[in-house]
Amino acid sequence: MHRYMIRYSKQGPARYTAHLDLMRELERSMRRARLPVAFSEGFNPHPKLSIAAPLPVGTESLAELAEVEMTRAVEPGLMAESLNAVLPPGLKIREVMKMDDAAPALMAALERANYIVQLDGEDLSGPLPGDAVREFLDRDRVEIRRHGRDGKEKKSDIRPGIVKMEVLPGDDGLLLRMELKTGSVMNVRPVEALTALLEYAGIKADPADLQITRTGLFTAG
Amino acid sequence: MKRLEKALRRVQKPGRYTGGEWNAVRKDWADIDVKMAFAFPDVYEVGMSHLGLQIIYHAVNMRADALLERVFAPWTDMEEQMRERRLPLFSLESHRPVRDFDILGFTLQYELSFTNILNMLDLAGIPVRSGDRAAGGYPLVVAGGPCAYNPEPLADFIDVFIIGEGEDAVNDLLDAWLESRRRGEDRRRLLLRLAGIDGFYVPSLYRVEYDEKGHLEKVTPVAAEVPAVVKKRVVADLDGAVFPTRPLVPAVEAVHNRAMLEVQRGCTRGCRFCQAGVIYRPVREKEPQTLVRQAEEVLHNTGWGEISLTSLSTSDYSQIKPLVSELTGNCAETGVNISLPSLRVDAFSVDLAKEVQKVRRSSLTFAPEAGTQRLRDVINKGVTEDNLLEAVSAAFTGGWQAVKLYFMIGLPTETDADLEGIASLARLVLERGRSLSRSPGRVKVTVSVSSFVPKAHTPFQWEPQDTMDELRRKQAFMRQRMRGRGLVFNYHDPESSFLEAVFSRGDRKLSALLESAWRAGCHFDGWSEFFDFDRWMKACEAAGIDPAGYAQRRFDYRETLPWDHIGAGLSKKYLAREHRRALAGEITPDCRTGKCPGCGLCPTMEIKPRLAGGETVAPLYDSL
Repeated sequence: MHRYMIRYSKQGPARYTAHLDLMRELERSMRRARLPVAFSEGFNPHPKLSIAAPLPVGTESLAELAEVEMTRAVEPGLMAESLNAVLPPGLKIREVMKMDDAAPALMAALERANYIVQLDGEDLSGPLPGDAVREFLDRDRVEIRRHGRDGKEKKSDIRPGIVKMEVLPGDDGLLLRMELKTGSVMNVRPVEALTALLEYAGIKADPADLQITRTGLFTAG
Repeated sequence: MKRLEKALRRVQKPGRYTGGEWNAVRKDWADIDVKMAFAFPDVYEVGMSHLGLQIIYHAVNMRADALLERVFAPWTDMEEQMRERRLPLFSLESHRPVRDFDILGFTLQYELSFTNILNMLDLAGIPVRSGDRAAGGYPLVVAGGPCAYNPEPLADFIDVFIIGEGEDAVNDLLDAWLESRRRGEDRRRLLLRLAGIDGFYVPSLYRVEYDEKGHLEKVTPVAAEVPAVVKKRVVADLDGAVFPTRPLVPAVEAVHNRAMLEVQRGCTRGCRFCQAGVIYRPVREKEPQTLVRQAEEVLHNTGWGEISLTSLSTSDYSQIKPLVSELTGNCAETGVNISLPSLRVDAFSVDLAKEVQKVRRSSLTFAPEAGTQRLRDVINKGVTEDNLLEAVSAAFTGGWQAVKLYFMIGLPTETDADLEGIASLARLVLERGRSLSRSPGRVKVTVSVSSFVPKAHTPFQWEPQDTMDELRRKQAFMRQRMRGRGLVFNYHDPESSFLEAVFSRGDRKLSALLESAWRAGCHFDGWSEFFDFDRWMKACEAAGIDPAGYAQRRFDYRETLPWDHIGAGLSKKYLAREHRRALAGEITPDCRTGKCPGCGLCPTMEIKPRLAGGETVAPLYDSL
């Protein structure tokens, strides 16, 4: 097995590419780069390629992770270079690393993600009080409503999934850094955490105005 | 920019509007002499599946002095955002307002996209009527594509139509525009200049007169340099013509997500209902070595895992066997699939399909078009029941379990016996499948019937369309006979076929109908979720238009037809002769077999059919 972990950024026009379209884009890029991607067996072979944590459409990321398998060894630096020559604007490979055969799948190992969230002043009903974040984090429970698979609404407590949250200095509006649990065990989306914070602080904003950038993805340990 | 970002964050598929796809061309606006926007009046996924867009994009952007950027009809969620935020229609490449371009070119692929053209002009802040654009520095509004062969319903909105193939014509357009600007000409001088070029039709330079019944009487040019008949453009050397081997790769999954390789253009089989068979004459094949080279380039430049060999009838390409063998050999190593979208109804075609499709995933599709030999002779569809049974037998023994059959109802001279014929043919195919397939229980035959729409420039252009009640009766008749396990029956709603017929045979008076329908809110009429027939009928009333007079009236041979001043190259006499032969049930062979039926195209256009290897005639497989 020749497994590789790819760290890439997704910005500019590419941030509007949806998850499945991105999968297809990466597959085509690997063909353009003539990389020896391994395919699954069966009637409908598909490339052995997976993205660690799908990114919502419109969210930027500086540090996405994907895992790919090749039929033969490829020098990581060369893989990055040949992919970067054929990726559309906004997608850029930052690093390729050889993965150990025994390493768990990236998707399963994923635990936390970092985000920067920005809201323009004109999109907020007022400024966030100075101690709002501290008080918000002091709570034992942060309940939000989510739609289950069956379409029914249910309440979930996302407080354990909010690892860190801090306000950064900015000229206008609101700039926040958050660390949230992500992955199969506990998953909190940045829009959920921020909506809960603003609701708690009594500030009105349209979630569609959130400008979100994922800045890091981390595996356990 | 901020307004755009805010809009994009609120729509379902923002990738439809942002551009930045692989192979998209970005040029420096300030360095370019003439800027053109290519407008597809439907949503991104549909427009991006269109080969014509890729060809024109390439033809213009390879020039150093010109640029072409794309724009599609915004989906309703985006339109709402744009209108609310006063965001004018913008191009995908540079996100500039369409209003800032020198030329705005629409492609006319189907009649039910016409209201979207008006809506896009309006979203761009451009007056919809050409008469209101004489001053103000608006872009020149151009339109081309198959529906330009009856341009009259759009005559009040479009400045110039390009009739025929666009590869060379678009360069003539850009050159003429540049020359006109160098000379400081006004809009009218520019239009006169364009009207003097082959294939360019400027509707405002023609006077249209009607008789006392309101039927078209005369269409006459208003100036000496304006031709009485506008001759279509044809690319004589298709093999050497520009072909996009670096096509745009859509970022949002398109309807067809694969490389397209046009193996030939034109089809001379002469099906009497078929407009494409007329307007793309003569047949011009590309050389197999050209195709092998282009296939390799396009696959390497896009990374697509599938390549489609396109044309009106790909199994008719004289070198198809050697081409497919060579391509399958080359593609096997890279895991690329080959698809053949338009297969003739015979065993030869199934053999081809077998060769390219190692895994029998999907179904095979055949189009016998009519249910009895009598009616197939009327429409000149050279397919026999034996051909069909041979084809499906080969398919079922070859491992396919599903077959799709396309038919048309409402064809001239059709009786209920022809409809019975469709049903019994479908059952015959189903039985054949059950006796031959390895898993008889899973055999499925899907029958899709569309409703006949008379089209301009075809032998059936004078024929009325069935009334909607009659089409509904026929559909119900069919549905009753298509029940049972293994049979699936599909049909189209008669209302949209009716409207399609109105516009396909419409005259200039329909411009008023289009405008009032669009103002009443009609748009995306080709999408069943938006098509609002009642609204259209109210618009007809408001505009004083009797739609049945266009769709359901038998036109007279002596009448001036709304498209008589558009020259597709076939003589009207030939079309009338073909029409009479149809009614008499006489067939007319393909001219590639060596016998010229005298359609008039070659002498009029000073052109000849061109087959691979430089031949002009060659035996067709099924006439051997």
